[in-house]
Amino acid sequence: MNAPSDTPPPLQAAGPALSPGRTLRRLFLTLFLRGRSSRGLRKESAPKSVGSKLALALVFYALFGMFALFFLQQPVFALSVYLHAMTLVFLGMFVAASAGEVLFNKDEADILMHRPVTSRALLWAKIGVLTEVSLWLAGAFNLTGFFVGIGGKDGGWLFPITHAISTIMEALFCTGTVVLVYQLCLRWFGRERLDGLMTTAQVFVAVAAVVAGQVVPRLLIRISGTIKFNAGSWWIGLLPPAWFAGFDDAFAGRGIRSSWELAGFGLAATAVVLWLAFGKLARDYETGLQTLNEASAIRSQRRAGRRWVDVLVHVPPLRWWLRDPVVRASFLLTAAYLVRDRDVKLRIYPGLAPMLVMPFIFLMQDHGRSDGGGFGVAFTGGYLGLIPLLALNLLKYSQQWQASDMFRAAPMPGPAPLCHGARQAVCWFLTFPLLVLFGLMVWLLRGENLHLPLLLPGIIALPIYALIPCLGGKAVPLSLPNEEAKSAARGLSMIGVMLVSIALSGLALWAWSGGWFKWLLLVETVLVIAFYVGMRLSLAAARWRPLE
Amino acid sequence: MISLQHLTKRFGAQTAVDSLSFEVPAGQIVGFLGPNGAGKSTTLKMLTGMIEPSQGTATICGFDLRREPLEVKRRVGFVPESGAVFESLTGLEYLEMVAALYAIPQDAARARIQQFIAFFDLSFETLTDKLLGAYSKGMRRKVVITAALLHNPPVVFFDEPLDGLDANAAVGFKALIQTLAREGKTIVYSSHILDVVERVCDRVIIIDKGKLLLDGRPDELVAAHGTGTLERLFTKLTGGSELERRAEDFAKTFRP
Repeated sequence: MNAPSDTPPPLQAAGPALSPGRTLRRLFLTLFLRGRSSRGLRKESAPKSVGSKLALALVFYALFGMFALFFLQQPVFALSVYLHAMTLVFLGMFVAASAGEVLFNKDEADILMHRPVTSRALLWAKIGVLTEVSLWLAGAFNLTGFFVGIGGKDGGWLFPITHAISTIMEALFCTGTVVLVYQLCLRWFGRERLDGLMTTAQVFVAVAAVVAGQVVPRLLIRISGTIKFNAGSWWIGLLPPAWFAGFDDAFAGRGIRSSWELAGFGLAATAVVLWLAFGKLARDYETGLQTLNEASAIRSQRRAGRRWVDVLVHVPPLRWWLRDPVVRASFLLTAAYLVRDRDVKLRIYPGLAPMLVMPFIFLMQDHGRSDGGGFGVAFTGGYLGLIPLLALNLLKYSQQWQASDMFRAAPMPGPAPLCHGARQAVCWFLTFPLLVLFGLMVWLLRGENLHLPLLLPGIIALPIYALIPCLGGKAVPLSLPNEEAKSAARGLSMIGVMLVSIALSGLALWAWSGGWFKWLLLVETVLVIAFYVGMRLSLAAARWRPLE
Repeated sequence: MISLQHLTKRFGAQTAVDSLSFEVPAGQIVGFLGPNGAGKSTTLKMLTGMIEPSQGTATICGFDLRREPLEVKRRVGFVPESGAVFESLTGLEYLEMVAALYAIPQDAARARIQQFIAFFDLSFETLTDKLLGAYSKGMRRKVVITAALLHNPPVVFFDEPLDGLDANAAVGFKALIQTLAREGKTIVYSSHILDVVERVCDRVIIIDKGKLLLDGRPDELVAAHGTGTLERLFTKLTGGSELERRAEDFAKTFRP
């Protein structure tokens, strides 16, 4: 302990106490921007970890929002439906991905639950931050749309104001819906199953966001032949984006009766969702927070999960495939986290779920086309490559990342066997089951298996896709803090692989129609083998990167 | 100051705390002991309002835990075993955040933080510039202890507070809690370091499987059971008397 003479310089005087509500909001925003854990960081450098990535994401959103220029001189309602549909998808995905960690963080309970703050105050502060960041994203995406609306067919200077208000409503609706889904799950299924329910709830919300923004309009095209973005159509009321577009159309567009009805519906739906989520069911949130503290109840039920995997790795074919003990250990670790860990499950399954929707959309578009289609099938095959890529990228992050120091302490020259174990677990437990599912989707939606071989180019390329995130030894499971997951670079690699998939699908379709499909498969197989060997050698040579 | 009445916590079919009742007057340091899984942390979490009791209740400073949880929380300080902090805040940001949650004006909070910096030998630059994630375990523990005492609570719960503290800091901490108790604060001290408990605490409560086993002054209990030390009494009561022989047997398995 210090002697009195060692007293440090006085801290600067400051003002009165902030209210607990403001304090919590400031806290959660800081935590969101800096991430919840760090190693050896100083204050000045901390925000760069997430803040700069968020800034980059905002730039991407703003660039993507420039597609709104296609709606120049179009009616306000059509522009608004597009903007709100895309905004709903982005916000739904963002809130669904972030809500689990923000709303139910286990470490936080030990820090905050014994302080004199109500669970309602905690909930409001967290929702405030989620909504605020949602609005930044929505603002970036809608930036171009604000100006396009001014020059719309029936638009004007009022459009930016009304669209800003309707976007705020949409963000509140979206955040409220996610919270409501959690609360209803808690209420209906009980506190003990919270961990599993959170994953289910996020999967549900992520899929619902994509369905509401992408699938429903396409289904309606199939029903009615074409979509005329008319606020008076009966089916438009089924689409949440149309409610908010109705608001724009009512105040800054044509102002017809049906637009006012949609606007009223949107206002009512938002109010009801907010009332239910933050008023009526706020108590369920408190229950959920307390459940996180009651670790022993959950611990006692966790015994059965490991046994079947243990058996599986000791019988062929896995016994042959996992001969290296380090690869096997990494495989088992990854499998255990894929099945048990709330944090990992919350990232991976809601991330993968919307990806299943996209092939469905393309297969639906293919269905019944006079030229026989086929692109949907080929695209579905190519799309498979995104599954190991996304899963391996997300498996790198964990709340228990510091435990991965033991990998470095173990007598291994580099991380290659750990990456292989994780890769193989992802292939066995995620990619292969989804491959079967995609095959079934193709077969059921098309009603024939003639086009099934079009899946092959994607399947053959799978080993390459699965090795990409491992290059440089970067796919060590559970080795990075969670906030690093909010990376725009990961989005770029996903976009890159998606473009390659689309190109491969196009090539496959061309080869199919040109009669040289078998040659394509042959050449592709040779190339894949060559690349695969090269990538394996490169990975084997990878060494541990220095810790920060 | 603290009064438990049949406090019970069940997790499904498992009873973690089984109808626990005792009272702690102001100014007393109570050692709260038990083997792993005895229900100590669950009891402390209930008494700090972190989890709800399944049955029974407790009053702290006259406020009922079930009916007035916020009033209870305003009057207790808690150092959890996990020592969890928000790692991406600096020490100062963290302490100021905690002060704000207790509505302590920023000037008063900074003055109090200043005193803790001096007492705990914390580096001023570290507290203001470095993120908590970069702190050593001991420094982090000092910040958590500071956060528990910042609002000057009349009741303080410590769950393994010495974990990570160096020898000097531990000595200072023991002197601190004894002085705090003399000035009227009630302290509940849960630890596995029994010789410290024996020296610091006025009274020990030993629980096992959620039930109260023993309650009394350490010297009186040791004398009554003829065990010589609190540690031996503890192992005798909680079935740990075979441990030394088992440790020897286990060590032999490492022979080549």
